[in-house]
Amino acid sequence: MARHSGRGFATIEYPTGMNQNGDPSQAWIKLKPDGRVDVFAGTVDIGQGSKTVHTQIVADTLGVPYDWVTMDNSNSDSSGVCTGTFASRGTFIGGNAVRFAAERVRERILDIASKELEIDAGDLEIADGEVVAKGAPDRRISVADVAGAATYNYGELISGQGTALKPFAEISDEDGSVQVEPHSAVSYAACVADVEVDDETGEVTVTRLVQVYDVGRAINPTLVEGQIEGGAMMGLGLALLEQAYPHYPSAEHRGAEFGTYLAPALEDLPELDNVILENPSTDGPFGAKAIGEMANNAQPAAIAAAIHDAVGAWVTEYPATPERVLRAIQAKAEPRREGKRVIFDEEISLSAVSSNGGAGFLEV
Amino acid sequence: MQLNVNGVSRAVSSPPLTSLLEVLREELAVLSPKHGCEQGGCGACTVLVDGEPRRSCLLPLAAVGDARITTVEGLGAPGDLAPVQSAFHDRYAAQCGYCTSGMLLAAHALIERKGGPVDRDEVLDALSGHVCRCTGYVKIVEAVMAASRGQVGAEPIEQPLAPEPSQPEIEIAGSPA
Repeated sequence: MARHSGRGFATIEYPTGMNQNGDPSQAWIKLKPDGRVDVFAGTVDIGQGSKTVHTQIVADTLGVPYDWVTMDNSNSDSSGVCTGTFASRGTFIGGNAVRFAAERVRERILDIASKELEIDAGDLEIADGEVVAKGAPDRRISVADVAGAATYNYGELISGQGTALKPFAEISDEDGSVQVEPHSAVSYAACVADVEVDDETGEVTVTRLVQVYDVGRAINPTLVEGQIEGGAMMGLGLALLEQAYPHYPSAEHRGAEFGTYLAPALEDLPELDNVILENPSTDGPFGAKAIGEMANNAQPAAIAAAIHDAVGAWVTEYPATPERVLRAIQAKAEPRREGKRVIFDEEISLSAVSSNGGAGFLEV
Repeated sequence: MQLNVNGVSRAVSSPPLTSLLEVLREELAVLSPKHGCEQGGCGACTVLVDGEPRRSCLLPLAAVGDARITTVEGLGAPGDLAPVQSAFHDRYAAQCGYCTSGMLLAAHALIERKGGPVDRDEVLDALSGHVCRCTGYVKIVEAVMAASRGQVGAEPIEQPLAPEPSQPEIEIAGSPA
């Protein structure tokens, strides 16, 4: 009886956004007379930080400081349509919507600035809240003054709308082909899990997770890391603890209260090494792809492989509870050796050589 | 009876066996303690009773008496945050925020009790009864350690979070980044 160490890894690919498309996100941006920016977008921030990321995208696209931008995502009446925060589409699709809207606002700012400075709009750029003539940095006007001029001199509310919508991918009934590539961007990830398995109790302890995520561009690396860390613990829970359904031995025995559903707690926290891989996408805002949902996909497979590495037995059902680990270890029966004979007991033999686990001939 | 909440004496009329959580949220509209499992298992309802973290969902009003109750509202205010609140903010230690109130108060009590830098095991011990589904706990642990050292901002914590990994660094050859 001992504790065995094992290491396993798993890789995944994750298609960003909805696979069959046809789901829009819309945004609307207006400029106040003092240059401050109001963003109305429906992307719901459930803690992952989309509000921060959208604000960064708008600030960078416009060339104004981050704290000039206020994002209002509190009201679905005043915001455009956003299909929702799911399928890892927040930054990729919602972020594109605010980017497109900001690009239109930027065009209007440059147009008005062009009139004020009497310089062609193509020769102007915006940085740190100032519109500056390329090659002549003394010819400049602040975005706040442009916004004021638009409001009080030109009678214009500088605003812009943006919609990120990938057309619905129609699938041909005849040959299954699609006119539109259903994937918007594909992210990749890998996870290495180190575990210790107690072959007496069946208990598995994850000691370390090394996780590498290709997120295209990490618009906010700290928030990306927050998703990776949170996903690591969710993946650990899926692998070892969280039993949703069916319940053992039947549904009547399911947990009726909080404490009978095991969620990962602080004591389960392994050492986490996170690597953010920046492999930009063509279409995402600033090359971003996604991190949301794929963050908990690789750990369960890596942990199952690590358990196999540790004790030589595959746990084929999640979560890998102590009972399942012990049963897997017990089922890993070896052929018997009796003198010169190596004997496969019927149970091992049938499952090893029969394609249907020894259930008899298949009726075709 | 009178209830001392965040230094203010408040009149309450709930029946004596009402949970403190319900009195705070429903009668006094103090909303930072969260209604989680209502069985003492999740930690979201934690408040400080005479400086000690207690599950307000399991504490009847009658048992509180004239004890001092502190909720997050009494810890700090916008622009004047307590160190542990600042550290949570600076280090992105909250995501959805549901567990945050309880985490903040338990961490605050730990730091007050220790009166100096707390190490990782002490944080794990003090917060072990608090469940967080979003963050994976890492940034929470870092924030509490930073707050106990009086560190502001997101600079690395003076004492490393975990021993240096014994395995070699991972190198990714040919990354376009």
